[in-house]
Amino acid sequence: MPPLDLSDIQGFILRGYNFPLARHLMLQINDASEGKRFVGSLINGNARLPQITSSVEWGAVKPTTCLNIGFTYEGLKALGLPPDSLASFPQEFVTGIAGRATFVGDEGENAPENWPSDYATAQTHIVLSLYAQGSEVLETATAELRSAFGQQNALIELGHLDATDLPESRVHFGYVDGLSQPCIEGGPQLRRPDMQPICPAGEFLLGYPSQNPDFSYPVPTPSILGRNGSFSAFRVLEQDCDAFEQFLRTEAPKIGMNEEKLAAKICGRWRSGVPLVLSPDTDSPNPPLTTEQINNFDYVPSDSSGYACPIGAHMRRNNPRGERVAGAGAHIHRIIRRALPYGPLYDPATPNDGIKRGLVGHFICVSLQDQFEFLMTQWVNGGTFAPGLYGTKDPMLGDNDPEDSKFVLPTANGPQIITGFARFVTTRGGAYCFLPSLTALNYLASTEMIKA
Amino acid sequence: MTPESTSPVPATTPQTPSVSPAKPVQNALTWIMTIKSPEDYQKLQGLVQQLSSAPAGQNPIAAAADTLGIIHFLRFVFLENNTKLGVMTIYDGDFDTYVNEFVNQVGPIFDAVLAHMADAPPLPTQTYRAQFNAYVRANDVPVVMFYSAYPTSTVLDIWAATGK
Ligand code: HEM
Repeated sequence: MPPLDLSDIQGFILRGYNFPLARHLMLQINDASEGKRFVGSLINGNARLPQITSSVEWGAVKPTTCLNIGFTYEGLKALGLPPDSLASFPQEFVTGIAGRATFVGDEGENAPENWPSDYATAQTHIVLSLYAQGSEVLETATAELRSAFGQQNALIELGHLDATDLPESRVHFGYVDGLSQPCIEGGPQLRRPDMQPICPAGEFLLGYPSQNPDFSYPVPTPSILGRNGSFSAFRVLEQDCDAFEQFLRTEAPKIGMNEEKLAAKICGRWRSGVPLVLSPDTDSPNPPLTTEQINNFDYVPSDSSGYACPIGAHMRRNNPRGERVAGAGAHIHRIIRRALPYGPLYDPATPNDGIKRGLVGHFICVSLQDQFEFLMTQWVNGGTFAPGLYGTKDPMLGDNDPEDSKFVLPTANGPQIITGFARFVTTRGGAYCFLPSLTALNYLASTEMIKA
Repeated sequence: MTPESTSPVPATTPQTPSVSPAKPVQNALTWIMTIKSPEDYQKLQGLVQQLSSAPAGQNPIAAAADTLGIIHFLRFVFLENNTKLGVMTIYDGDFDTYVNEFVNQVGPIFDAVLAHMADAPPLPTQTYRAQFNAYVRANDVPVVMFYSAYPTSTVLDIWAATGK
């Protein structure tokens, strides 16, 4: 494969920035030519406006901000993309996140009708994701961007949501996150070895051989628009920290386990990030695991029964690694996670503080249907993909109902089963985004598109 | 494809929620396709015979089904004086998702079979997935009664229990 053109691919697809702050701005385009002008201003080298960050290595100096952009189908339409081009996008993207809600489990409270209008909703055209090293640069960059929205409601900011990297890169519920990510052929190499096959570029980028042996995903047309692009499910996921802690407190003693161990069983890693497979009995093995070790494991053959890490644990479900699963293998359904917590650190000493907390960001893949939606329907909310899971859902993320919820912890003496718990994560917003290449952004900004 | 409404298994919620759910995990597909012509029947028969006489482990359909891990049983039958081909299977869970995965993996095999059908959807299946799904649905004979000897066991459960 020829090397990837890193200067053409949006930065957050291939690399995690590890910035402490993120701000997602939800925009609506009311005027196509103003919309184009705005898109153009993000790639024209304007020194007074944050510019779209590509995947090119930074070298010694890290920028103070990074900017990336995603368009919903409605957004592409509002920019005036011609019908034949719109028709070349995959069906689930055309339908959009609201139309696919029931399918992925966003029902009841989680349904798009109940999403706050200032989070991402069916009205969102653009999700502009700004990452910053500090709050001052974040505010400056935001002000610059807002000043470029144009006059007379040509571009409206529907709302924004801020996210913060909590100490030790923890997410709410108390776990260290950001340890496992796919390694992509031609992209930056990962610091943490993981025993998994390298993902072909076409598992995350349009225009390259994909993870399927004789099928690659059609590139939306014209190819300057589609190639080097990707898709994301942008998600706003509210976490009920009170309910989660309460669950640990009540259920752990019932099965003779301490709360920390139950928390580990739910995730697949101890809250410290140490994986259960490598350390089933303690969250702080001695000697401690190194960066090289912390993600370097598989569930098979050593833990095929799930005695260390339950087969139904969050991270084992969302990437069963080498385990045998229904379908052609776990490695064809990888996803890149670029999400950070919103809301301040939860303090169990002051429960019920009424503050909203959650996780917000982009779940990136070449096929929303075969990756994001597959994960949600089969692995998170389905229970037929691996042995012993029928009738169960992801205990951390799943659409669980106290009427029939069930979490199975296999042990050598038969399974321990926890029942009767509700869902801990509620969907509060979302958008299916197309993440165009820089070439494509230039095309979207041009008037040539209309003539095409 | 969804037998739950007619399932003889009681639909009531079990008393203890830890008991497995009442709805069988397996579903049935009874997919009856009309063959274009006697010549097409000849070719299809050759194709099916060739597939099924392949040495163990080399039958691409069996290999794909083995990989998929959701198919309990699969059989091909010719019906109504060889004017129709029936593909009958009992499978776990969600059909559309795994057909989609099947098409990603072995789309050309579907294409080879569908090319001989009178009312075939546009091909290749990898390009026309929605049409292919609609075709399967339209030609699936609805289930009026469904019985399962092990309503809560998936193929993967059985493999795990039998050490396959
Ligand atoms: C509020 C929601 C969520 C929380 C609190 C959460 C938390 C976590 C944590 C703590 C880990 C382990 C850290 C790591 O290995 O990097 C993890 C891993 C993972 N999560 Fe989530 N997650 C959430 C939502 C999601 C969603 C929506 C998806 C997919 C659609 C997802 C997919 C994954 C995957 C793929 C992994 C890595 C598994 C691996 O490669 O071994 N998570 N998550």
